[in-house]
Amino acid sequence: MSLTLSTESESPERTTVHVHGRLDAQTFGEFDLAILDLLPRVADGGTMVLNLSALEYISSAGLRSIAKIRKSMRARGGHTLLLNPQPQVRKVFDIVKAVPVNEVFASTQELDEYLDHMQRQITDGSIEVE
Amino acid sequence: MLLRSIASRLSLWVLAGSVAVLAVAGGVLFYRVSGQILEQAHGEATALANEAGNRIEQRLARVADTAQTLAAVVGPRPEDAELMLRDALERNADLSGLAAVFVPAGDNPPTSPFVSRQDDGSLGWRDLRKDASPYWEKNWFLAGLSCTPGCWQRHFYSQSRKRELVNYSVAITRGGHPVGLINADVSLDWLSRILKELAKPAGAYAFVLDDNGTYLVHDNPALIGQRGHDDLLQAAAQHQASRVRLAIAQNPQAKGKPVWIYFSPIEGTRWRFGLVIPEATIYAGPRQAFARVLALGLLALLALAVVTLAVTRRILAPLGTLASRAEEVARGALDFELPAARFPDEVGRLTGAFDRMRTELALHMAELTRNAREQQRLACELDIAHQIQTALLPGEHYLDAHCENFELHALLRPARAVGGDLYSYFMLNERRFCVMVGDVSDKGIPAALFMARTITLAKALAPRARTPQQLLSMLNLELCRNNDSCMFVSLLCGMLDTFTGELVMSSAGHEPPVLCNADDARLIELDTGAALGLDEEASYPARRLRLQPGQTLMLYTDGITEATDTNLQMYGAERMLACLAQAPSRSAADLASGLLADVDRYAEGAGQADDITVLALSWHHALDDRNSPMLDLTINASMDDVFETLDRCDATLHAQGVAPDVRDDIRLVLEELMVNMVEHGRTRDAGNIIGLHMRLGDDAVFVELHHNGHPFDPLQAPLPALTGDIADQEEVGGLGIHLVRAMASELSYSHDEQGNHLQLRFLNPARTEPRHVPDPEH
Repeated sequence: MSLTLSTESESPERTTVHVHGRLDAQTFGEFDLAILDLLPRVADGGTMVLNLSALEYISSAGLRSIAKIRKSMRARGGHTLLLNPQPQVRKVFDIVKAVPVNEVFASTQELDEYLDHMQRQITDGSIEVE
Repeated sequence: MLLRSIASRLSLWVLAGSVAVLAVAGGVLFYRVSGQILEQAHGEATALANEAGNRIEQRLARVADTAQTLAAVVGPRPEDAELMLRDALERNADLSGLAAVFVPAGDNPPTSPFVSRQDDGSLGWRDLRKDASPYWEKNWFLAGLSCTPGCWQRHFYSQSRKRELVNYSVAITRGGHPVGLINADVSLDWLSRILKELAKPAGAYAFVLDDNGTYLVHDNPALIGQRGHDDLLQAAAQHQASRVRLAIAQNPQAKGKPVWIYFSPIEGTRWRFGLVIPEATIYAGPRQAFARVLALGLLALLALAVVTLAVTRRILAPLGTLASRAEEVARGALDFELPAARFPDEVGRLTGAFDRMRTELALHMAELTRNAREQQRLACELDIAHQIQTALLPGEHYLDAHCENFELHALLRPARAVGGDLYSYFMLNERRFCVMVGDVSDKGIPAALFMARTITLAKALAPRARTPQQLLSMLNLELCRNNDSCMFVSLLCGMLDTFTGELVMSSAGHEPPVLCNADDARLIELDTGAALGLDEEASYPARRLRLQPGQTLMLYTDGITEATDTNLQMYGAERMLACLAQAPSRSAADLASGLLADVDRYAEGAGQADDITVLALSWHHALDDRNSPMLDLTINASMDDVFETLDRCDATLHAQGVAPDVRDDIRLVLEELMVNMVEHGRTRDAGNIIGLHMRLGDDAVFVELHHNGHPFDPLQAPLPALTGDIADQEEVGGLGIHLVRAMASELSYSHDEQGNHLQLRFLNPARTEPRHVPDPEH
């Protein structure tokens, strides 16, 4: 099997998926099914983090899968963040301008800072709204 | 110098002609007039002669009278004889002496007196009877006695008186018998004086002939006493006045010229007076007159000639100017003044025509100069065109530098500065080598332009063509476009697999190629389509063959086979095959140049009529293993097979030491393309086969993909909308093709009856070099 997923959920607001192997036309179906299982477990407005540090390879089929995740997360007011894509994958993202640059993070630390910042924004925003 | 002018010649001829006419007319006139002149001269001379004769007659008559009177008087009275003689002598000066001579007998007087005139004028006396020699025995006395009425005796030269004398004797009669005689001596001095005093014309002379035909008196004393000329005497014998012409005068004074002699008889004597007039004298007058008239006429003619000269010169003066202008024209100068035409005569017309000619000539020369300049410019342009055309052709020698498995030699020689033959060769990609030889219909500049068009189009279209037949079809379509001049080109195109030696050829109406083995050469029969540029719908069959090591393929144009010798015999395919079969060296260069040299020898002297092209392609050996393809797969168009293939590719590349990032790029591109073929390329009865060839070059990886499905050109696919977030779009499409275009260093696509063909190249930099990430295409 050229693709494996492992999930760690620190909280309902934040679920991290580790992607191992290759995400291509052969594996994207499997990937989609796994994510489909995972998505309901993420709270509305939560954040899905795709840890790509072990993703060796992605093709357009994989890009479409990621697009699908982002669409459904966005529909639920959530975010999809990408963590530490390898150069080969990063290159593919760059070529097709797949993801806004500020949603791709090189390390967990950067991601945490960003999420803390977001958290504050949301909290402040909810006070203002409610 | 003088006669070089028409005017002088004309006047000279006028003069000469007039003189001739004048001379002839004058001669005829002179001849006619001279007859009359002669008649007149005859009349005048005869009258003169008669007058002179009469005068002499009168003088002689006086002497005769005196003598007769004396005879009558002395007869009865002989004793007074002396007195009477003296008296008579004093009265008549013509008498030189008088003698009364008697017969010495009986009653006759004893004396015979002789009275003579002395030199001093006094009268002398002598008695003849006392002379030593008795006179009565002499002839003159005896003759005188018998001459009663008186007669003239023969003249004689008197020794005593030292002069010529003539006697007139009259007998003295008594009783009817002669008793003596009166003898009168007449000196001939007066006679010559009379002749001299005669009003003779100049050069004329006179004489008196006695009865014996002897000159009694003559203006030339030397002739006195001589006998006259026979003709003269014959004429003188006539009693009447007469004339005779002597062709040669007897008188030396006349200098042997012809003379006319007029005779007049002197009555009482048998003498004849002659007047001699030289013929020249007779004609001298008219001759002089004629000479004068002639001189005058000549003067007039001379004047006429001068006038003719002047008038002609004046009339022809423009001609001289025109002649010198014509000489200027010959030297090339056209800018000059022409004499004004005074009259519309021939000279005027000539001047006008000359002026027009000069103008036309100037125009013509300007035209010529322009043409020459144009020619020069054309020649220069042709030269440049030749250079440009040469630049269109690739080099004459090509050796596959990569692996030296084939070699090419080409020779092209246009018949003129530029020609319609062409050859070209180039690598289509790392593996396929395209070679072509063509011949445009016609020659010269149109052919050269068409050749340029063909060779450029061929090179531009070749990358899109997978096969020669395809290239020919595309080329044909392009060349048919706007080809109103109906030019066409025959073309033989071959594509060589430089790894295997497999050759695919297609011919558009071109000569069949020749395949040369080690010891023979044969034509390769191949079906040919129409020449390019004529029929848009033409198709071109292919002919495949695999070149064996050592074989050489010869491509050529009809300049070889249709080269003619001086007998208009063509070189032909048989000679070509024989030449190629017998060539000692089998190298491409030697075969090509050997063939060309043989054709040149054959056509020596006939000149090159057509462009000649020879191209030799030698196959040395197939590619070695190092360069053989890493992968050569044919798979079913299914996902499983695709991914199995991707893994094999990856593994192979990995085994070859290709960098991981390059491997990933290749995998991505191949995945996108093949998944696309599997998902979209299938048709109902095709699209199930994918071919993949992969080869590792020095610094690149080459991949070919073949799929027998739907035509699909990834290069023509629309660019996907890239917003910066792939989640923005409803349907995400076209990303794969976009990635392919971005990742592959080179991508070319073609389609033919066998389906889609993709050729890809990926840079595989050597490891020492910094890693290079290809830029996206946009």
